[in-house]
Amino acid sequence: MSDTETRRIALERTAQDPSSPAVPAKARRSVSDRLFMIWGIAVLLFLFAPILVILVYSFNTGRLLIAFDGFGLDPFLTILNKPAIQNAVSVSIRSGVLSALFATAIGTLAGVAMARRPGKWVGWFLAVLVLVTVTPEIVDAVSLLPWVVFLGQDLGLTIFNDGIFRLIVGNSLFSIAVVSYIVRARLVGISESLEEASADLYAPPLRTFWRITLPLAMPAVLAGGLLSFTLSLDNTIISSFVSVSGTTPWPVYVLSAVRSGLRPEIASVSTLMLILTLLALVLVAWVLKRSGDSATQIARTMAGS
Amino acid sequence: MTDEPIRILAPRQAIPTIKRELSRRNFLAFSAAAASVATLAACTPGGGAQPGAGLVASGGPLEANLNIYSWGDYDDPGVVESFTDTLGPKVTFGSYGSNEEMISKLIAAKGTSGYDIVVPTGVFVPQLAKNGLVVELNHDLLPNLKYMDPAFLKQEWDPENKYSVCKAWGTTGFVYDKNIITRDLTTWNDFLDAAQNEASGKTSVLDDPAELTGMYFWANGIDWNTTKKEDLDAAEDYLVNTLSPHIAAFDSYPGGTAIPEGTQVLMQVWNGDARLGIMNGGEPDRWAWRLGAPATELWMDNWSIAMGAKNPEAAHAFINYTMVPETQLVQLDYIGYHTGAAGIEKAAEAEGLEMLDMVFFTPDQLATMKNGELNENQDRVVEIWNKMKAAAGA
Amino acid sequence: MPRLRLPKATLALPAWVWLLAFFAAPVALIIWYSFGYKPGIFGTHANDILSLDRYAEALSPTFFTTFANTLWVGVAGTVLCLIIGMPVAYWMAVKVPVARRGLLIAAIMIPFWTNFLVRTIGWQIILSPQGWLSQGLQGLGLIDGPLEILYSRTAVLIGVVYNYLPLMILPLFVAFDRVGEPLREASKDLGAGRLQTFLRVTIPLARPGIIAGLLLVYIPLMGDYITATVLGGAKGNMAGQMVAAQFQTAQNWALGSAMAVVLILTILLSAAILGLVIWLASLPFRSHYRLRLGADA
Repeated sequence: MSDTETRRIALERTAQDPSSPAVPAKARRSVSDRLFMIWGIAVLLFLFAPILVILVYSFNTGRLLIAFDGFGLDPFLTILNKPAIQNAVSVSIRSGVLSALFATAIGTLAGVAMARRPGKWVGWFLAVLVLVTVTPEIVDAVSLLPWVVFLGQDLGLTIFNDGIFRLIVGNSLFSIAVVSYIVRARLVGISESLEEASADLYAPPLRTFWRITLPLAMPAVLAGGLLSFTLSLDNTIISSFVSVSGTTPWPVYVLSAVRSGLRPEIASVSTLMLILTLLALVLVAWVLKRSGDSATQIARTMAGS
Repeated sequence: MTDEPIRILAPRQAIPTIKRELSRRNFLAFSAAAASVATLAACTPGGGAQPGAGLVASGGPLEANLNIYSWGDYDDPGVVESFTDTLGPKVTFGSYGSNEEMISKLIAAKGTSGYDIVVPTGVFVPQLAKNGLVVELNHDLLPNLKYMDPAFLKQEWDPENKYSVCKAWGTTGFVYDKNIITRDLTTWNDFLDAAQNEASGKTSVLDDPAELTGMYFWANGIDWNTTKKEDLDAAEDYLVNTLSPHIAAFDSYPGGTAIPEGTQVLMQVWNGDARLGIMNGGEPDRWAWRLGAPATELWMDNWSIAMGAKNPEAAHAFINYTMVPETQLVQLDYIGYHTGAAGIEKAAEAEGLEMLDMVFFTPDQLATMKNGELNENQDRVVEIWNKMKAAAGA
Repeated sequence: MPRLRLPKATLALPAWVWLLAFFAAPVALIIWYSFGYKPGIFGTHANDILSLDRYAEALSPTFFTTFANTLWVGVAGTVLCLIIGMPVAYWMAVKVPVARRGLLIAAIMIPFWTNFLVRTIGWQIILSPQGWLSQGLQGLGLIDGPLEILYSRTAVLIGVVYNYLPLMILPLFVAFDRVGEPLREASKDLGAGRLQTFLRVTIPLARPGIIAGLLLVYIPLMGDYITATVLGGAKGNMAGQMVAAQFQTAQNWALGSAMAVVLILTILLSAAILGLVIWLASLPFRSHYRLRLGADA
């Protein structure tokens, strides 16, 4: 047996069953495998580099974020004395949760409708969703501001003067599209037979929806909700246009600080938020895992395909 | 509407433009935001009526919050903290880098921006007042006005301080890194020359339209309020085609990051921000500050209360609070600008504050500084700023 | 016995209404503004005279450069994301033990879960001429003077690639994972080399994922201007910035609207061209698997 053949068999075995104890994978790993691994790890380092920097700099006792002065907990304590920061974070979380709930609710309904009630309308609806998706945030931002101001001030619909509500409107557009896609993708892949059976057994449509369709779509609904929440937390451009001072969300606060001088407490808040989102991530992964999805499926639903 | 006599406060030079605008367009053609309010304003003698929805300060209890839309890093955090501690309202800041930016926000939001206090530069006050974007101040709630130097009150743009009170005034110059630029730069011409040579690609200019064209006019001995087309054309050609490719950043606050971090070599900068940056950087010997020469600007930023302010009592209380002499001194030390208080120069010297030559200016220097104007070149100036940004990004 | 069913499409009604009210209507308003003009110093827009002049202005040589730059950054950033992301996704989907994949996916997503502005500031710190990287490289003698990446096109590319890479890796991972081991094995058993298998089986089957990745990166990247401004300074002037500036500073809503419309059209057109290119490029590989695997793809 030639050398290359041996290697090839080893490779195939590794690929088939990498954890197989019979072949000590490390010893037999091919050059290309190693290159892939090095590349992968390098990219991961690249992805983590600025986050590590922010983690470290969140302990910066200096006056300016980017000039490291000393190591200490001062910036974390500063957060306690800065109601504006606490307010910004709380606004972000509140508006994020509300927009995620809202977008998930109506996006799920739309996704279910597209998957289960197909027809000509789906084409039109998808076209609108695609338009929403390809429209850059800045365009939504500049068009939404005059619009909500018109509704709020000229038509007297005072709810549009409310900062949180405006943020929800701004956050909702992209999120609705994303949730609709994900839920539709999930349901299209599952046969309708269960729902039909339920209907055959005289279950009213609403009950069929609650008891059958929704549970079937649940991983997608959760993933969509989570994604909406993340997108909303990150929404900077639309928020910076529509936000009302006093309900300034966190990214807009940071954006304002980028110009006038960044302080270390901005990194500290980010560190705290990172820890919280990590916990949330673990929680969701755990929930999804319990509902029977493999890691790959979780990624699949989260990536929306 | 346009038959009514219209009384507004505006720089004399701007009046023809404003009149022309008013007679040419019916009020629908105005910015939608200004329309209803401008109508009201035009019908009311004095022109400063507040919109129906706006709250009026009458000395009642202070609200729990206060939202200030101001220039970046423009108030000592300690002062703000002690204001909250003594009087209660929690203060939130938003920041902008040019008057245009602040006005755009107020106009687009039509009183729903949520801001209580804005800090416009003097020449913009008439426009704001005329469009009803700021409301009249209640002087009964500002007893500390007595601590102000009369020289800095009752300015041309607001002769009775109806809408505005001096917050700080300053000027424009530049800062350069002496390690890189070894020759001595003194004038705007030197600045422009260095920007194209040793500081090429390491130069920042203010992200504020007026100072960009201003820089060209100051360097070339042209009045920076010129409305002559050939002047503006020449400025555009030079700034867009010659200077822009060398510009690394449009940064209104190099003192915040660029000076302390040494990201740029040459920076157009306001005096107080330059001082803040040099003091923060820990390498005061590395940086040279130069007042723009042979001519440069004089600006005065003012406290004003925005239309639709939800916390007018707290806003007045804050403005009043900042005028206490001790507070003014603390503010001056932090922001590096003259706050307009009477006798503050002596107090600052007595206190031994650092780098006061960047805060107070000699009569000779003051003679080279000139107020800006808001006139018909405004659109063109903004357009040039726009084009410079496009050209610098190429 | 008729079965009880919800009426067609009713469930999508809330989404329909919402998107019409807060997407279609405001965007229509913007399109309307774009045919107007700026009525003097104190006005933002007026529509009593309609013209295409704002479009001519938006596409005038000065601003056209900005659109060209944006397109350049958009295409270069997306291509870089694909080049960098594809091996990673392949590695995760094919080489890494199944048990560890979940962790890796989480790791890829973590940056995506930190505020993008803060991450960008992290890069600003790293790339600063006085930062650790600069000092480290100088210490190693790799560069003579301080690092001069910040406020350059390179910094813009680093920033956008960084911020959008996860959006490329995830759909690619899903796509590669979906292709599955057996098909690749089959291809190899039939005598195809590894490269051949990759080009003729894996890539064509992963096509939907590749397209999803390209779009997920390209579209937001074209509209993003904050990453570019924070890291690129004046060199990071993107079309989004120009649009924002018309509304935030110049008070010229008419021009800003025209620029916004041009931006959307640029994105739609270039995405269509991209689609065409991908379709053409995949033609040579298509016929091979189409018959047997077409349904599966």
